[in-house]
Amino acid sequence: MIEEAKIIKSKRIFSFLCILGLVVVPAMYYLGVLSIGDINMLGRFITFAIVALGLDLLWGYVGILSLCQFTFFCLGGYAMGIHLAHHGGPEGIIDSNGWKIPACLFVVYPYEVGESSGDALVPGFWKPFWNLPITIFLGLLIPGLVSLILGYFVFKSKVRGVYFAILTQAIAVAAWLVFCRNDVKLCGTNGLTRFDVIAPHGSIFTLNPVDATKGWIESNTGGSNLDLNKDGAVDQLDYSIADVGYSLSAPEVQVSLYIISVLCLLGAYLLCRWIVISRLGKVLVAIRDDEPTLSFFGYKPYTFKIFAFCVAAMLAALAGLLYVPQMKIVTPSNMEAVRSVLVVVWVAVGGRGSLGGAILGALSVNLIYNYLTSEHDYGFFTWSPDYWPIFLGIMFVVVVLFLPNGLIELVDRFIKKKPISKT
Amino acid sequence: MYGSENANGLNKDKILEDMKKLASGDNKIVTQAVKDLAKSGDIRLESFFEMYRQGSIYNWPSKSGDIRIVLNEETFMDDDFNEFAPLLHPLSKEPFLINGEQAKPDLFELEDISPGRKLRSLVNSSKFLLRLFSPDLETRLSGVKKCGDPPFLPDALPNLEEISNNKNEDAKVRHTAKESMELMILGGVVEGKKSIKDRVLALEKLGNLKSLRALARIDPLETELSAISKTKDYTKTEIKNFKKSISSVRTKIEGHKEKVEWSGNLFRGFSYGSVLILIALGLAITFGLMGVINMAHGELMMIGAYTTYEVQLMFGHSPDNPVNHYYLFALPLAFCTAAVVGLIIEALVVRHLYNRPLESLLATWGVGLFLIQVIRIIYGDNIGVNSPTWARGGYEIYQDIVLPYARLYLLGLSISCVCFVYFIIRKTRFGMLIRATMQNRDMANSLGVRTRKIDRLTFALGSGIAGVAGYGWTIIGGVTPDMGQTNFIVDSFLVVVTGGVGELIGVVYSGLGIGILTKLIEPLEIGTFTIGPVWGKVILLALIVAFIQYRPSGLFAPKGRLADKK
Repeated sequence: MIEEAKIIKSKRIFSFLCILGLVVVPAMYYLGVLSIGDINMLGRFITFAIVALGLDLLWGYVGILSLCQFTFFCLGGYAMGIHLAHHGGPEGIIDSNGWKIPACLFVVYPYEVGESSGDALVPGFWKPFWNLPITIFLGLLIPGLVSLILGYFVFKSKVRGVYFAILTQAIAVAAWLVFCRNDVKLCGTNGLTRFDVIAPHGSIFTLNPVDATKGWIESNTGGSNLDLNKDGAVDQLDYSIADVGYSLSAPEVQVSLYIISVLCLLGAYLLCRWIVISRLGKVLVAIRDDEPTLSFFGYKPYTFKIFAFCVAAMLAALAGLLYVPQMKIVTPSNMEAVRSVLVVVWVAVGGRGSLGGAILGALSVNLIYNYLTSEHDYGFFTWSPDYWPIFLGIMFVVVVLFLPNGLIELVDRFIKKKPISKT
Repeated sequence: MYGSENANGLNKDKILEDMKKLASGDNKIVTQAVKDLAKSGDIRLESFFEMYRQGSIYNWPSKSGDIRIVLNEETFMDDDFNEFAPLLHPLSKEPFLINGEQAKPDLFELEDISPGRKLRSLVNSSKFLLRLFSPDLETRLSGVKKCGDPPFLPDALPNLEEISNNKNEDAKVRHTAKESMELMILGGVVEGKKSIKDRVLALEKLGNLKSLRALARIDPLETELSAISKTKDYTKTEIKNFKKSISSVRTKIEGHKEKVEWSGNLFRGFSYGSVLILIALGLAITFGLMGVINMAHGELMMIGAYTTYEVQLMFGHSPDNPVNHYYLFALPLAFCTAAVVGLIIEALVVRHLYNRPLESLLATWGVGLFLIQVIRIIYGDNIGVNSPTWARGGYEIYQDIVLPYARLYLLGLSISCVCFVYFIIRKTRFGMLIRATMQNRDMANSLGVRTRKIDRLTFALGSGIAGVAGYGWTIIGGVTPDMGQTNFIVDSFLVVVTGGVGELIGVVYSGLGIGILTKLIEPLEIGTFTIGPVWGKVILLALIVAFIQYRPSGLFAPKGRLADKK
C-alpha cells in the first residue's frame, strides 16, 4: 500500500482542484472553448468523483469492497428525482387530495383492479419530497440509515472481504429488481423524468402544494386574474405557472449546478482528508492491515466499519442528489450491478488508498468513456463504440496486474521525477 | 391411426379433389366436401377454412374448363382501372405458378365460391374439428380441449364420443374428450340436455374426472341455480340436493387442485435447485477449493451455451428438421471449450492473483466484460438455440401434474455433474493431488506435486463444469451475451457462500434449499398481494443475510486449520 510520504501533498491536490474546477473550467466556458454541454457533462463526472471518494475511503483505507455504491447513489438520486417531478411542468392532473400527479408517474400509474384514471393518487411517500431542504435531508438520511442497518447486521457477524463484496452485489441486484417494478410507484423502468425547474419559491418555503397554492391565492387578491392556464379553476396548475423557479435547461443554472458540484467535491475531499489524517483514520487503516490485532487491543472494529460504510453511502447519495438535476432523468439502469463495479474501476485506475487518486480515476475514466463511445476514424482503423466494453475489460485487467497503485503513482513519479521503490 | 394415411401423397390428392368439389355449386356436395376436408386432419387447412369463410378462395377455371382452386388476398389496378388478382396456392400459400410466373388474371376471370350463410358456421367449426383428426398428438389434444371451452362446439359431440370410445387412442386424449363432452353439457349447449338436472349430473361426472377446467364453471352454475329456485320448476329438496352435490364436487376438485399446485411448486423448487447446483458447481471448485473469485464464471457458462449453438449450426438442427443427436455431441464440446477458455484466463490473469481475492474479483470481472462484448460483436444480441424436439412437452406422472422433459433432463444432468465432480475429487489420483494442493500447498510442493499444473487443471475443471451448465441452460432459457451477468453470477456466488466454502456437498444442500424455498415463497399471497419472483428474491436475500448472522461461514464450515486459512 502507498505510504503517505510518497503521495503528492494533499494541499497541492486541493489547490489544484480549486483552480481547475472553479477558475479554469468556468473561464474556458466564458471564453467559448467549452460548450454548455461540456460543462453539464463535467458536472456529472464530478458527482461520480464524489462517489469514488466515498468508495476510496471504504476500500482504500478500511479494506472493505462495497459493490452497491450506485444503489446509494440512486437512493439520493430518486429523492431528488421525486422532488423535481413534483415541480415538473405546468400540465397535469390534480388528484383527490389536491396534489398534482407528476406526468412520469401518471403515464405508468399501477392501478388496482377496478380503478380508473381518476383514482390515481400521489403516493404518501412522495409527499415529503415536495420541499427542497427536506428532500436533501431525506436524500442523505435514508441511504445513511440503510447503510447503518445493513452494516450493523453484516459487520457485527464478521462478514468480511469477498463475502461482503458479493453480498453487496446481491443487494444491488435485488434493489435494481425492486426499482424496476412498476407497482412500487417509482415509475418502473421508465424512471423519473420530465423535470422542468429547480428551487421554485414554494419548494423552499412551503411543505405541500395545497398550502402553497392557498398562500399564493391569498397574497394575490389584488384583482389580477389568477386563472393562468384558462381552464376555469384557480388551482395548483396555475400556481406552478406563476412560481417558475429556475429552469434546468438554462445555461446559468447548469453552470451553477456545476459550481455546486465542484464545491461539494471539495467539501467531500476535505471531510475524507480530515477522517484519514485524524486518529480515527489510523484506526481505519489498522482495520485494513490487521483486524484481529486491533480487536485484541480492545477496539470494536465493526463500529468503525459501520461508520466508514455510512460515510461512503452518504457521499454516494450526495452525488446522486447533485447528478439528477444535471442529467434530468433517473432510471433504474443506474442501479445495475455493473455500475457499482465501475466505481471500483475508477478508484483502482486512479489509485486505491489515495483520495486524489479516486478523483483522478473517476474523471479520467469517464472522460475516456466519453471519447471512446463515439465513432472515430483513424484512417487505418475505425474505432466503433462497440469496442468500449472490450477496452474497459482490458483496462480492468491491466490496472489490477500492472498498476496496483493506479495512475496517481504515475503522476507522482512525473512530479517528483524519481522512481518509487516497490514495497 | 391417422398418421399412416397422411404420409403418402394419396391423401394430399384427396384434399385437392375435395377442394374442387367446393366449386360445384351444389349445396349438398359442398357440405360433404367441407366435412371430408375436416376429416383429413391437415393443419394447413385451418387457415384455408378461414380464407374460405372470408371469401378469399376463388375458382379460376382453366380454358379447358378444369376447376382450379386459388387463393387471392389482395388485388392491384393498372392505369386503365383493370383490377388484377395475384394468385396464391390455397394450401401452401406460395405463388400460383403458370409457366414459371405468378398468375395474375383479371379479377373478372375468378369465380366466387364463398360459402353461404348456413355453410359458413359449418366452415367455422370445421376449423376446430380439423384438429380432432390431426395425426399429431399435441394438435389433436388441443383440438379436443378447445371443443369444451366456450364458445362450445356442439357439432363435435359425435366425434368426441368416437374418440373417447376409441381403444387405440391416447389415454390423455380420451380423458380430455370425455371432459370436453361433459363440459359442453354443463355449458348448456347440447340439445336435449339443457335442463339443470342434466347439467348438475354432468358436473358430478366432471368431479369424478377431477376436471380443473370445470372449477371456473361452478360459480356461474350456482348463481343460475339460485335464480331458478324462485321460478319453482323444481322442488325445494331437488334444489337442495343440487346444491349439495355442487359443493361436494367443488371440494373434490379444489382438493385436487391444491394437490397439483403443491406438488407443482415442489417440483419447480427441485428443478430450480438443480439449476442452481449446476451453475454453482463450477464455482464451488474455482472459488470454494481454489479461493479465486472468478467473476467471469457466468461468461464461461455463456461460452458453453454458444458452443451448443455452434454445434447446432454444424448439425443443421432446426425445429422443422430435427437432428436431435447434436445435443449429445454438444455436451463434451461445451465442456472442452469452456475449459480451454478457463485455461487461457488462468494463464493470463488469474495466475498472478492467487491469494489476492479482491483483485482477482476485479480482473475477472474485466475478463467477463471482454468476453461478453467479443461474443456480442460476433453473434449479435440474440441467438436461438433450438432445444432437441424430445425436450418439448412433459411426462404426466399424475393427472394434471406434468414434469417437463427439459426440467427432468436438467435434474439428471445436475445429478450426474455432481457425481462426476465428486468422483474426480474423491476417487482419482488427480483429485487427491487437488485436495493436497489446496490444503497445504507448500507441503504438497515439497513432496513433488507440481502445484502450478494442478492449479491450472483445477481451474480448467471448474470452467468446464460452468460450460456444461451453460449447455444445460439452453434447453430452458434464452441465450444472450450477457446471460452470465444478468442470470447467474450473483445467484451462484450466493449458493456457494451459503453452502460453505470448501465443501462441495454444501453446494448441493444450499442449492436445493434455496431452490425449494424460493419456489415455495413465490406463490404465497398476503391479502391481495402475491409475492412473485422479484419480492421472493428480496425476501430470500434477507433470509440469507440473517442466515449468515447465524452461521458466518455457511452450512458446511471448514474446520480446524483450514478455517484459519480462508
